[in-house]
Amino acid sequence: MIKQLTPFKFILIFGIILSSCEPIVNQFDDIENAVMYRANTIVDVGAQNTVKVMTWNIRFGVARLRFFGDGCGDRVVLKKSEVVEGLEGLAEKIKQEDPDILLLQEVDVQSKKTGYIDQAQWLLDHTDFNYGAYASMWESQVILADGLGRVNTGNLILSKWKLENAERYQLPLRGDQDALTKYFYLRRNAIKAKVAMPGKPFYAVNTHLTAFATDDTKQKHIDTFKAILDGIAAEGAYFIAGGDLNEIPPNASKMDYCLEDQCKGESFHESGIDKGNTHKEGSYFAPEITWLSSLFKSYTPAIPLDVYGAFETGHFTHSPDDNLQLDRKLDYLWTNTTWINGTTHQEATTLSDHIPVSATWVIP
Amino acid sequence: MKKIIQIILFISVGLAGPQWGNESAILSSPGRHEIGLFSPFRMGLHNGSEISVNKFLLLPSVAYKTNLSQFQKWKMAYRIQVAYPTMAMRWIQSPLGMKLGEPDMFALISPEFTIPQMISVYGELIGTTGAPSDGRLSINGGLGIGLNGKELAQRATVDLPVIYPRLSVYYNGILIKIGGEYFRQVKERWSYVLDYDMFLMPGGQGRFAFEQKGLLVWSKSQKFRLLFGYKLIAGEYPFGSQAHLLPALDLQFGW
Repeated sequence: MIKQLTPFKFILIFGIILSSCEPIVNQFDDIENAVMYRANTIVDVGAQNTVKVMTWNIRFGVARLRFFGDGCGDRVVLKKSEVVEGLEGLAEKIKQEDPDILLLQEVDVQSKKTGYIDQAQWLLDHTDFNYGAYASMWESQVILADGLGRVNTGNLILSKWKLENAERYQLPLRGDQDALTKYFYLRRNAIKAKVAMPGKPFYAVNTHLTAFATDDTKQKHIDTFKAILDGIAAEGAYFIAGGDLNEIPPNASKMDYCLEDQCKGESFHESGIDKGNTHKEGSYFAPEITWLSSLFKSYTPAIPLDVYGAFETGHFTHSPDDNLQLDRKLDYLWTNTTWINGTTHQEATTLSDHIPVSATWVIP
Repeated sequence: MKKIIQIILFISVGLAGPQWGNESAILSSPGRHEIGLFSPFRMGLHNGSEISVNKFLLLPSVAYKTNLSQFQKWKMAYRIQVAYPTMAMRWIQSPLGMKLGEPDMFALISPEFTIPQMISVYGELIGTTGAPSDGRLSINGGLGIGLNGKELAQRATVDLPVIYPRLSVYYNGILIKIGGEYFRQVKERWSYVLDYDMFLMPGGQGRFAFEQKGLLVWSKSQKFRLLFGYKLIAGEYPFGSQAHLLPALDLQFGW
């Protein structure tokens, strides 16, 4: 999750001055081709009757380091050695779980904050995957704030089978920002790719929805994500899908995390503060508690609502910053067929501010 | 608004066009003063040399240029410049005085880094031959050394054209610069400048930068001239290689 970059006044001046062969900020088409990757070494994998799928927001490989943008930390540009150490921890867990399809969010491919390591290629070359499809959600030559510098971060699908027709779908931009802020802000996406498993092709869809919008942007993101899944289902095809939806389940017992997420010097739940905004952006879910209901009604989750409701803490997938006490579920897997062995990997709490969710998909 | 103007001035420091002979071995006449919107204040001294001072006070630098003996058809000069970037680099960690995450707008260097006391010394030799009416060619080459009170983190670089090569000496300790300029007067008031500079940055994550500039010059008189054109930059940065095409503009005044 990246904090909102509130008004970037006058940045446009710099943007006009600094033109180059590539735009200052990549604004993306509504639908465009994803960026394709392949591992240095390809190991052919045959058809299977079941496919293990995992989703993980990897926090650009910085584990629980105190990055400023998604918690209360004060780090901006991490050491390359710290990032490699984080990636090694991720790779070890991935190899241990050995999923066939991995849906990753917050993958940096060319960002100053993570030493410009192409994490998509790095992960391909340090795990057992063969192919990848990447869709950026934030690509800018420079972010003129906080010393962030150059940024390219996004969603990645890794697969043991070849990925075809991989497409990046632009999700609606936030509606609660001024034009300049919106220009330099994240452009969330969903990425869809056809997994060419021999004789049994299927689709993989990966997304990372808005975290901090204070209007109905997240609802639009959920609707767009569901529309992509509906389109696949309407074709009579099968899909596995998932990601960091930045939304809690409809039966979650706790909806207000303002105080848990509060940083030093911040104050919430007091009338009149922050010009009347008493809730922290991205921490108050009450108004949107039903927004995932349509997905739960239409498709099969890896962790069904009754399973979640019976043991909520066992299925939490996120806690911000360096807080290792997981306190909410934001990460999901879906299919239009059947899952078995849905698992929330809470043993991986130190490897990112999100933990992976995996399940085995039974191919019809 | 004052802060915004300061920011624009800082960004424009490296975009300056050539001054009246600044990249040549020709010195300003004794007692002559020149200043440009995006170029330093220069003054011809009576001892046959020239001094220039950066008018952007957060990035103080002073340069001294003087003639050497003529070498065949080449007029020769050397130039030495001392710069103190610490205040400017600290300032661009928080140009608007904001804290991390507020957000700290316009910050080009993360405030997490400590910018130590630093100075750089740059010396170059310049040779010039020819006359403006027939075409005047200047070639220069020099060496810069950065002296830091403490080590400056390599992660604290500003990976942008113009800025990256000019600050590289403080990260790498050394800079080699080779360049040339061709100036030709085509009409009474019109002339043009073709200029190139090659920055070699041994030890840096970006090892080179090539800058080529083309400018049209309209001289109203010895008191005012306007320069406009482009600057093409191809260079290596910590993330890889990239090219940029930037507008170049300067208004210069002399008296």
